[in-house]
Amino acid sequence: MKKRIPAVLLLLLILAAVLVLLLTRYGYADQDRDAIMAPSTAQHWTGTDELGRDRTVRVAAALLIGLTGAAAAAAITTAIAACFGLLAAFSPASIATLLLFVSDVFLSLPWLFLLMMARSVLPLTASPLETAVTTFLVLAALGWPACARAIYRGAIELRCSEWMIQGHACGLKKRQLIKLHLVPHLRSLLLPQFLVCVPAFIVAEANLGALGLGVGEPMPSWGAMLLELDNSALLARSHWVYLPIVLLAVVLLILESFTTEVETHA
Amino acid sequence: MSLATTMARRVGRTVLLMLFAAAGTILLVRFAPGFFSDSREMDAKYAQAAQAEIQAENSQQQSVRQIAVHTVESWLKGDFGESREYQVPVAELIGARVRVSAVLLAQGILSGWLLAICFALPISCLRTGGLVWGLPFTVLLAIPSAAMATACIVAETGGPVLVLSLLIAAREFKFLRSLLEGAWCSPHLLQGRAQGLSARALVTMHIVPNVAPQLRALATLSIVTALGALVPIEVIFTVPGIGQLAWSAVMNRDLPVLVAVSLLMACGVGLASMLSSRSVTLEAA
Repeated sequence: MKKRIPAVLLLLLILAAVLVLLLTRYGYADQDRDAIMAPSTAQHWTGTDELGRDRTVRVAAALLIGLTGAAAAAAITTAIAACFGLLAAFSPASIATLLLFVSDVFLSLPWLFLLMMARSVLPLTASPLETAVTTFLVLAALGWPACARAIYRGAIELRCSEWMIQGHACGLKKRQLIKLHLVPHLRSLLLPQFLVCVPAFIVAEANLGALGLGVGEPMPSWGAMLLELDNSALLARSHWVYLPIVLLAVVLLILESFTTEVETHA
Repeated sequence: MSLATTMARRVGRTVLLMLFAAAGTILLVRFAPGFFSDSREMDAKYAQAAQAEIQAENSQQQSVRQIAVHTVESWLKGDFGESREYQVPVAELIGARVRVSAVLLAQGILSGWLLAICFALPISCLRTGGLVWGLPFTVLLAIPSAAMATACIVAETGGPVLVLSLLIAAREFKFLRSLLEGAWCSPHLLQGRAQGLSARALVTMHIVPNVAPQLRALATLSIVTALGALVPIEVIFTVPGIGQLAWSAVMNRDLPVLVAVSLLMACGVGLASMLSSRSVTLEAA
């Protein structure tokens, strides 16, 4: 039961966010010009921002966008890393060395610096949806090297495992070895990588957004909402401005404990 | 393989990685939209002839090969080219900022480590309640560095060193605690405790020598973590260091500066990786 608590909490948060978006009459970009920087009211539960947009709706949308984008990017990254790691583990030494060197080139620059460089060279003045897709695609495209290394190490262990060697000795064909021995063990190799990537990508998006390189306005994102903290006039009026940062920390804590639980029980 | 050969191979690999990082930066920026735009073209003070000269100067550096040759020439000259944004040699720009960033990194890493050790050592001895005592670090781990920096500015407390040290402490506390918990449970330590050795003697004689290699590897990896966090922290706190220069160069497509900063970052990561020769042991821990 204990191991399900983080998953249940995460589901409850997602459900609450979906309900907020379905039940409220405001969209995340809708402005209430009579309630600019409004405090908490019956209409706007957590107040509005400097453009009169409902904060509850924006935080709920940011949560869903962040989680969906990060999960999608993590899935792509894990797939790339799996191809790369498995190819390096099961190919001749020269090809493996070359593939690992390619991953080392990506790892030779600090992650956030590389992200910032790659994201900034792509169009920043595109539509909000395009900037969101671009941001998460950049995360997916640059997040794989560390995962590929971990998968490579796991795959090498698999390749040298006793059952694999016995299968070889028994005359199993390569295809049979892959089907019978490799694929069933991939889940335990790939799932932790995927789960580690999700919170890492959410944090990276928040950092990029805070530098002005994340998802474009008016689409809400964690990074864009952190920029709200720069507005001292808004801070003086309402403490709800801190809601995004608190919720972000809660989401990351839940994801972290979920990952730990899965890794422990894997 | 002799020590000299191993070292030569590692240095060669690091240099090669640095060159690839620089080449990657050139490719990335060269094909970025807006690379050919020059703010001087919009300036009315430049006459028609000057505008034409600017365009001719820009067109000279259009192919990747030309850019690469120009970059290597500037490296050989030692000035790393001229900044497009500031119109001064890149070496001059970087030289002034390296010191600021190095001091920030050193202070942040040292205080972060001190904080992590001070908490990890007693918490690792606890039989129960370790999770509760470690909770602040878990929470810190869940806060992006940019958010931490913004929160510091809002609260008008602390500065870049505090944010960097909290970030390092949060990251290293997790590894340190797991390392130390393992060390406390080792058989020779249990015997030492049974023989009545004091906690201080146990730490200095048994724990520190045993975990020193892993600590060394962990410490060098902190450099990589700190280098990554340098950009948002310096930008948010407006610290005139390498991170802020990198951000400004990225936003203004200042290729010579960006290539030099990439080289510097790759050099930092490469040196850190070279020093952490026991990173495999660390990962196993």
